[in-house]
This record gives sequence, C-alpha cells and structure tokens, in this order.
Amino acid sequence: MYNFLTGPGLWLSIGICLIGLLVRGVRYVKGLNWQLDRVAYTAHPKAGIKGAVRSIVFWLLPFGTRSWRAQPFMAVLFYTFHIGVICIPLFLEAHQMILQEKVGLSFAFLNQNLADILSWGVIISAVFLLLRRFALPEVRILTTKHDYIVLFLSVAPFITGLICRYELGNYSFWLPAHIISGEMLLIAVPFTKLSHILLFFMSRAQLGMDFGIKRGGMKGKGLTW
Amino acid sequence: MSDLGEAIMPEGTLCNKNPIQTEEALKTLLSDTSGKKYYEEMKSIDIDSRLLWDTIHKTFHSRMRTWLEICAHCGLCADSCFFYRIHNRDPKQVPAYKIQSTLGEIIRRKGKVDNKFMWMAMETAWAKCTCCNRCGLYCPHGIDMGVMFSYLRGLLYQQGFVPWELKIGAGMHRVYHAQMDVTDEDFVETFKWMAEEYQEDYPGLTIPIDKVGADIMYTVNAREVKHYPEALAEAAILFHLAGENWTIPSSGWEQTSLAMFAGDWEACKMQVEHVYAAMERLRPKRMVGTECGHAHRATVVEGPYWAGRKDGRPPVESLHYVEWLAEALRTGKLKIDPSKRIKERTTLQDSCNYIRNHGLKEITREIIGYIVEPGYFVDMAPNRDHNHCCGGGGGLNGIGIFREQRNKALITKRDQIIKTGATLVLAPCHNCWDAIRDIEKEYRIGIRWSLLRPLLIDLVEIPEHLKLNE
Repeated sequence: MYNFLTGPGLWLSIGICLIGLLVRGVRYVKGLNWQLDRVAYTAHPKAGIKGAVRSIVFWLLPFGTRSWRAQPFMAVLFYTFHIGVICIPLFLEAHQMILQEKVGLSFAFLNQNLADILSWGVIISAVFLLLRRFALPEVRILTTKHDYIVLFLSVAPFITGLICRYELGNYSFWLPAHIISGEMLLIAVPFTKLSHILLFFMSRAQLGMDFGIKRGGMKGKGLTW
Repeated sequence: MSDLGEAIMPEGTLCNKNPIQTEEALKTLLSDTSGKKYYEEMKSIDIDSRLLWDTIHKTFHSRMRTWLEICAHCGLCADSCFFYRIHNRDPKQVPAYKIQSTLGEIIRRKGKVDNKFMWMAMETAWAKCTCCNRCGLYCPHGIDMGVMFSYLRGLLYQQGFVPWELKIGAGMHRVYHAQMDVTDEDFVETFKWMAEEYQEDYPGLTIPIDKVGADIMYTVNAREVKHYPEALAEAAILFHLAGENWTIPSSGWEQTSLAMFAGDWEACKMQVEHVYAAMERLRPKRMVGTECGHAHRATVVEGPYWAGRKDGRPPVESLHYVEWLAEALRTGKLKIDPSKRIKERTTLQDSCNYIRNHGLKEITREIIGYIVEPGYFVDMAPNRDHNHCCGGGGGLNGIGIFREQRNKALITKRDQIIKTGATLVLAPCHNCWDAIRDIEKEYRIGIRWSLLRPLLIDLVEIPEHLKLNE
C-alpha cells in the first residue's frame, strides 16, 4: 500500500495534475478570441505584456491592490493560507527527502519551526475562511457545496500531515491517509476550482491585456489596481 | 371552454425578437406611451431556448466560461458595487451573485429558462448593473462582471427582453444612424444655424462640412442636435478660437450607441461602421468626439472590434473631447484668461467609460489645472480609476420602468459630491451630466453642474485677430 502510494500513485496523481492543468491552459488560450473578447491580443504585444504583468504582480503582492487594502482581514487570511499551501508541499524537509529519493535532486527546504508556523497558518486561516462563509451574508449567498469540498480537499493534507508530524494516533494509518489526501488534492486540481492554480494567472493576464491594450493602457500611466 | 386564451403568445406585436428596421415600426413603438402595451406583451412572450443556447455556443468562450467557473465565491466584489452599498448590503446585490444567478443560471440550464426568469434577468442586467466595470478591479481572479452583463444584455435583447426605451434607441440607430430621429439634413442645418447665430460675436465662424483631409473630424451626440444645439455652437467656437482645421461629416456624425446599452450587437456594428465610413471618406488626421462617455467607448474603444478591425483601433486616431481640450490648452492654442479662472469649490466626475475604461484620468486633471484657481478643486473619494458610476450609466438614466431604482442609484454620487463640499460639479460626459442634474432635482443638494465646453467659452481669451471690431 505504502509502496503504491509513494510509487505509481504519486506519479499518477502528479501526472494527472500537471497534464490536466496543461490541457486547461491550452484550452483557455485556444478559446480566446480577439473579436468576441474585444481585445487585440496580438496586435500590440508590448502593451499586452505590460498590462498582463502589472495585473499579476500587483495582485500577488500582499496589500498590492486597493481591493486587498480595503479588506485587510481577508487579505491576511488569504496570504497566510496561500503561502502555506504553496510552500509546505514544495519545501517541507520530508517532501524534499522523497524528491531526493525519487529523482536524486532536492533544493532548499524549510526549517521545522517555520514549517510548523506555515502549516498551522493554513489550518487557522482555513477555519476563518470557513467561518467567513457562514458569517458574512455576502459570502454565504454565493457559497455552494463545491466551495466546501474544495476547502476540505485543500486542508485535509495539512490536518493529516500535522497529525503525522506530532505523531498523534497510529502513524501507519495517518501517514497513508496523509499521502492519499495529498494525491486526491493533486488529482482534483484540473477538474475543480483548484484549477485556479493556473487559471488565476491566465485570467489575470487576460484582464491585464484587456486594460493594457484596449482600456487605456496605451493612454496614460496604466490602471491603478 | 377553449384553452386558446391561455396559450402562450410566442411573439407580441410590439415586444418581440425582431429588431426595429423601419421608420413605421419605430413610430408604432414610440406611440405606445411608456411601453405600456410593450411590457404587457413581454409578460407572455416565449423564450427560444434553442436560439439562446446556440448563441451561447457560438459566442461564450474561454474568457467568460473561466470567469464563471473559477469565481471563488469570496465576496470581495460586494463592496466594490455601489448598488450593493446603497441597498443596505443586500446580498442579492453582490456582483458575483447577480451574474451567477442570471448568466450563470442560463448556462447551467443550457438555455432552458422561462419568461419569469428572463424578466428577473432583464431587471438585473439593466437596473442592478450599469456596466461600470468597477467590480473587475476588485476581484482577485480578474473577473469583470460588467463585461458579462453587457454580454447578457445581448442574449436578452435577442429574446425580446429589453427595456422599451432601449429597443427604440437601438431602432433609431438602425433607421437614422443616430440615437434619436435626427437626420443628416437636421444635423447639418442645425450646425449651420448655430454658426449663423454666433457669427456676430465670433467673426469668421464657419462650419466646414465634408472637408477632405482636415486635421480634425468632429462627431457628436444626436441629442445635442435635437435638444442642446448650443453645444454644437460651443464646439465650433472653441475650434475656431484654437485655429483648428476641422470639419464635420454630413453623414456619419453620430458618435453614440444606444445599441450598445441595448445589447443589439448587429446595430452596434452598423452604427460604428457608418462613422468609420465617414473617416475613410474624409480622411481627417484625427477624429475628436464630443463630451460623452459612452459615445467614446462605443466608437473608439469597443467599436473597432464590432467592425472587425484587427488592430483594435478606429481608421484614424480618435480622441475624446477632453484629450483635444487638454492638448489645446497645453500647446497654447487656447489660452485661459487667468483672472477668469473658476473660484468656486469644484469637483470632477470621472466617467467610467473613458476614465476607468480608457485611461484618461490624468488628462482631465490637467484641464482642471488650467481652468480652476489653485485651492478650489476637490477630488471625490474614491476617484480616477476607482470612481463610482454616476448612478445612471449603461442606459439606466433613460429607462422608465426602472426610474425608482435609478433614483436610488444616485445616492452614492450624491454623497460623494456632498463630502467634497463642492458647489460646481464638472461632468464631461452627457450621461453623468444627466445623472448629476437629476441628483439636484431629486435631492436638492445645492450644486450646479456643467460640461467643460460652456465653461471654457467664458474662460478663454479671444486671439487679437479674431476679436470683434467695435
């Protein structure tokens, strides 16, 4: 079981995730249409790239946009959650050891204290993101089952991971549970809203090009995000 | 008893899926005061689900599909929407909810929606969104719900669910190539008449018609011809004083597009191609449009795409009036008499259509720098790209059945203006101008409001050689 999960199971889930995302990315770009979208994507490459980069960079920077500054609590939750869910899977020492074992290379890893902080950060921010869905009428009205499933899928590897980390309960149960939840998350990525891992960048770039090319990017200093 | 009486009428005589194509049809629809019969018929028209789904299949691609799909349901767009704010944070006014419950639902149901649903969608698309695109600036995923609402309007129009005034407006463009029943002759005659009226005050004032190769071809809003001819005179006088080599096209002079507000995509294309044909015919160096926001958006920003121009640009470089004015003041073609500068607390309405959606925020402030005495200008908060809609954008100003919603929608702008303490509101956009006039009418906050041209007429110095010999 363990061998399957860390062997073919791992490759399969990573493969589905990456190939799935690639397909989604290609389909997204192929589905763009300069006339229907009303953006001359290829006619003004310089303005398009500038607009796309600005649109992504400002939104990646904590408090980089007016929207983030207007909602500081949400911004803190959002960044705590996302920094954790990106850094832990990639840079946790235990994960790097697997990488070393599988492909014979590894890169910098997080020290244990920082990893603990980031992991707990994910759990705590996820709890608040969940409470936000219950508490705020403007979020509650939008929330669907899909949102809960995606949140659960994203957090499950962290809950099981922390149980393993503190060696609570039966390790031989919780370790496979951790791996399974991680692999389920990878497999779900292309088929759910988790596809925003890639499509966030595509969508942001697209709107950035829209503003950069058509909606004033070539007129003044560019849009203030 | 026959059940014929209960059978659903597929099409009404006034309210139906066919666009207005003739003057006669236009007059018939106009004679239905306030659209009484039109809306009565709308209650029982059928939905052609196949056509709806087919249109979606052809036009709804990855950009919007992805927007609807990856919306994280985070609610960050809520506060960006002025409708949400003035309706006591009603969750049903959250932009993401408004689009998911209309366009999103049509997609989920594969076009199988009923008459009642379409009414709800119509009210949402025209009375709960002005397509100001502000929410697009607040969504982490870059989802622009204004873009989707204008798309939804197209779907609704195609099924006959469009407010009466906008069905007429789109029909006007189809019949007259103008948003009102103003013919090419009316336009030329009115412009000439205005020049004659002012020739005594401004010797040498003429209206160059159809001059080929002029530096500027000027385009207007039909309502100026029909209701505000002074606006034409003011434009002519300022070009005259600036020494511009300008002209007007005898046909293709209408810059606006109510078809855009209506979602009549075919008429949008017809209208803008008519203006572009005038550009091709007269080959001016540049086109300058009037002080109107949506006209600029229709002819300069969106128009090239309707007309299938791959570079996304009109046939000749096209400026909003504020761009020309700023340039004329910057280069000294127009000079302001310093003693006449505005010494009254003044604020400025940033029009969504050419500020947020065409980047002219610094240009308008440059003009302020020339015409308002330092210390008298106060910006609204928020402003520039993040300014709120006047409350009447996207056609809402002109829709009778949604008048109550429009009047409420004015509250945001009213409060923004009150907070500046200004008594003069500069509104270089016909639509914003109307909304701000109605703010004063509805709420009496003690302001006056103006386009730029009428103020400029009083502020500019008249060059020696153009002065009246007394």
